[in-house]
Amino acid sequence: MKSKLVTLAEAAALIPSGSSLTIGGSIIRRSPVALVRELIRQGKDGFTVLAYPAGFTTDLLAGARAVDRVEAVYEGLFQFGFSYNFRAGVEEGRIDIRDFDEVTQASRFRAAAAGLPFAVTDALLGTGMAEHNPEQVKEISDPFTGRRLHAVPAAESDFTLLHGYTADEYGNVQFPIARDADDLDPVMAKAANRLIVTVEKIVPHSEILKTPNLTYIPHTWVEAIVEVPFGAHPLSCDGYYDEDEEHMAEYQGYARGGDFGAYLDKYVTGPADHAEYLDTALTAARMLGLSVR
Amino acid sequence: MTNTDYSLNELMVVAAARELRDGDLIFIGVGTAGRAFTLACGIPIAAARLAQETHAPDLAIYWNNLLSPDLQQIPERLTQRYLTTWPTAAQLHNCSDKNDMLSKGRFDVSFDSAPQIDRFGNLNITAIGDYKHPKRRLIGALAQTDHFAYVRRPLILTDLKKRTFVEKVDFITSVGYLDGGTSRVDAGLRPGGPSRVITDKAIFGFDEETKEMTVLSVHASSSIDEVRAEMGFEPRIPAGVPVTAAPTPDEVRLIREVIDPRGILLVA
Repeated sequence: MKSKLVTLAEAAALIPSGSSLTIGGSIIRRSPVALVRELIRQGKDGFTVLAYPAGFTTDLLAGARAVDRVEAVYEGLFQFGFSYNFRAGVEEGRIDIRDFDEVTQASRFRAAAAGLPFAVTDALLGTGMAEHNPEQVKEISDPFTGRRLHAVPAAESDFTLLHGYTADEYGNVQFPIARDADDLDPVMAKAANRLIVTVEKIVPHSEILKTPNLTYIPHTWVEAIVEVPFGAHPLSCDGYYDEDEEHMAEYQGYARGGDFGAYLDKYVTGPADHAEYLDTALTAARMLGLSVR
Repeated sequence: MTNTDYSLNELMVVAAARELRDGDLIFIGVGTAGRAFTLACGIPIAAARLAQETHAPDLAIYWNNLLSPDLQQIPERLTQRYLTTWPTAAQLHNCSDKNDMLSKGRFDVSFDSAPQIDRFGNLNITAIGDYKHPKRRLIGALAQTDHFAYVRRPLILTDLKKRTFVEKVDFITSVGYLDGGTSRVDAGLRPGGPSRVITDKAIFGFDEETKEMTVLSVHASSSIDEVRAEMGFEPRIPAGVPVTAAPTPDEVRLIREVIDPRGILLVA
């Protein structure tokens, strides 16, 4: 096994503008936010985002005018309200949105994970998603029964970006014994072509060896691993910290008020790196308040 | 004598509970706050618990991503910390397990709502206006499409409002009875479609042949004229529409003392 440990800047530098990105986590939970901030900091744009429920990271990219296309099952910020940047992008015709239901989108990632070209679904029959996306939702018939179905392309992307809990330097990523499994991260990892994982903590390989059944992303799937404590902030990372309600309210204030450039200046392009971001966004007392460990 | 000591939310809980059967597996989503929480989460949970306490002891609940969570210990807040530590019988390894349960046809009932609902029970949570250039982009599709494709008896739970109940949805996120008649099955969908629409003013079903939304009962606090005034289309109104059955004193007691003693479900 070789070390795949890189810095956040090095990981982001692997990703060219215009790439398609599968982004993990869910809405306001355990997404690789620090990595997405670093992509914006490096001036990257023109991305296509593939997600299960999209959420904060997609909205952040939309606010930076860095995303051209989104394929997902949901866009919003859950209890913090609408995804204003994304919504404006769609309403103004800047973002090409491709809606999918959860069953179909999960099937698309599983097809990619299995190395197959497409998935089969009967969830989209009669829907607007099928009507408005003939490029990706094609009618086929069951070769055995003749029943009407749809074929949808495997969710292939150039890069897959996930945020996890602990890993060793080789990229064996483990989850804590109790965690929230309301996402597709394990499937997305398997479906990845080039997988970059940020984690809360790098631990010695000897720690990983004690509980191999908690490894949900094995080292052979991983291209780069990055230690980024509070790497999902202002989102939650189950087992580590809760969502930062104060920051989210501030974020929504900028987004709703049409002054998102000021947010980007303050929290994304202003700070030179993740450490400076944490200095700007948090105090020690607030970090302890968010911690659930 | 008819019981009159009940709230409108309690009436909706009881109406929903009566649609649930012993052995059902039901899906309940996560609401956000205020009235949206009460409709998406509070009333469905209370209805499922009431059914368990009365006629359906073997009913199972899948809430968000938790299968059979301990509903004696509903957290007061639903931030990540509380969701992660809430005692539950099962949390499957990732969401594609829940999706397989949906498409495999394991769910009997789901609770759904939308900003647009039409005469044939189609729902729109995706976009208002033209899809490609929407007047208002909404939230997408989530698993609502799948509920309507795969769940046997989806229940629509919402307040009756003219801007919600429209002749035709702008975008079909979730297929109810499509254009009515046999069009749902003709399109290749599995049999099913929404079974009831439970609102704050009336309860609706769908006509067996035409699949048009049909008034089944009107709540004692409302009237058929008020119901029609709050709809953008004319529903089928059979002769002699009854008053919605009132909750019994025992049902009200169970809701207040056993199911929601802390008052955290029926909040708005």
